[in-house]
Amino acid sequence: MTPEVANHWYPVGMCSGIHGAQATQLLGQSITLGKTGGQFWVRDAGGKALPVIERFGHLWTSPGQPNRDLFTIPEAETPGRRLVDCGSVRVKCSPLRAVENFLDIAHFPFVHTDILGAEPHTEVERYDVDIREEVDEVWATKVKFFQPQAAKSAEGGITTEYMYRVPAPTCAVLYKTCPPRPGEWDVITLFVQPLTEELCEVWPWMALYDDDTPMADLVSFQQMIFMQDRSILENQIPRKLPLDPGMEVPTQADLTSIAYRRWLKRTGYTYGAQVVAA
Amino acid sequence: MPGRIDGQDIAIWRGASGQVHAWGDRCPHRGMRLSHGFVRGETLACIYHGWQYDADGGCDHIPAHPNLVPPKTICATTYSCAESDDVIWVALRPTDEKCPSLAGLRGVRSLTIDAAAEQVASHFGQAVNAILRLGTADNITLALQPMDADHCTAHALSDARADRTDVSRWLEHQRRVIEGQPA
Repeated sequence: MTPEVANHWYPVGMCSGIHGAQATQLLGQSITLGKTGGQFWVRDAGGKALPVIERFGHLWTSPGQPNRDLFTIPEAETPGRRLVDCGSVRVKCSPLRAVENFLDIAHFPFVHTDILGAEPHTEVERYDVDIREEVDEVWATKVKFFQPQAAKSAEGGITTEYMYRVPAPTCAVLYKTCPPRPGEWDVITLFVQPLTEELCEVWPWMALYDDDTPMADLVSFQQMIFMQDRSILENQIPRKLPLDPGMEVPTQADLTSIAYRRWLKRTGYTYGAQVVAA
Repeated sequence: MPGRIDGQDIAIWRGASGQVHAWGDRCPHRGMRLSHGFVRGETLACIYHGWQYDADGGCDHIPAHPNLVPPKTICATTYSCAESDDVIWVALRPTDEKCPSLAGLRGVRSLTIDAAAEQVASHFGQAVNAILRLGTADNITLALQPMDADHCTAHALSDARADRTDVSRWLEHQRRVIEGQPA
């Protein structure tokens, strides 16, 4: 495992779901994690203690030596939000394909039909994308899309505005127009735990302004959306994400994906990536 | 629907006019299997982003950019495909050969077998060939689709007067023998 891959923080569980010791995998290695006397811990296969961080309702660890703190999401800390642990979905795909799909809006009318998108409202207008060197993150802003039911709290179709942020290679944050509170952003994240290069555990998490919808409905809405995504993610060929141009043909709507792939390649993050065109 | 020939994944689809097509099972955009797609008229669209391909495999519509004429370079991989006597035939390489004639026979069912095509042929005492005439009273004939090293599909035909259920049961019995399961 290269340092470019090892030296990141990875989600390995939902804090509320960790009681005794349990086994899982991270980057192809077996690890165990658990909670003893109120303290979370993670150990590698040899029994060595790995560093832990508890944040966003999840437990994070690293097999390497991260040179910076796990990212923060200041917007999610504003008072009045409901923090929603969505559980996890196991997907037979590259962790990078899971993130890339989360950054994509053009699939909404076809994969999340009549929920996040619907024909004939398929057009993706130009939006802004940049790799922010000072923070080493990928950002897409001014993303707009017509949605029949943008969120559990949305009634009728609206044009939703989005911002996307990739703060770590296997994590993405979505800021989305918040129906009950114009001017604020709902926060929806995708934390991906790479089990292997072609298998991942996906942990969605949300920080929403929505006081009315029952928690179970919020979770099942998100789970339904992700089940629809899974039917795509497990049927892409190749399973790994091709980082070299030529294997797949992007278009203007894919600017975020283009920047994400470029950023991964530049930072040497190749776990779950296909680097040489097959 | 999906298919596999010599390790190649294929999407087989029928346009509204009845014409059948066999393409590589991969959308050039993001690698999604085209066999999950949907047919509209004489086009096949990918289920992921709705990219639509015409009968020649060329992309003619990208829903995210409805006013854009897609570049000619965006196209699905197409294979020769023909329908003859109840069987759809695909050639991975260009060929002038005609499909084998199975005139007078009627399709019964398609059976996937966990064995290479060679093994199925040798079970019936024959060399591997696109069709195996088994010489039974009902003229059971198999059109063999080699899928990969361990699988093939036998598309079975027989005389039109034969009882399909009987033929089908006989085939399942043969499959169990070929796969080495208790018959």
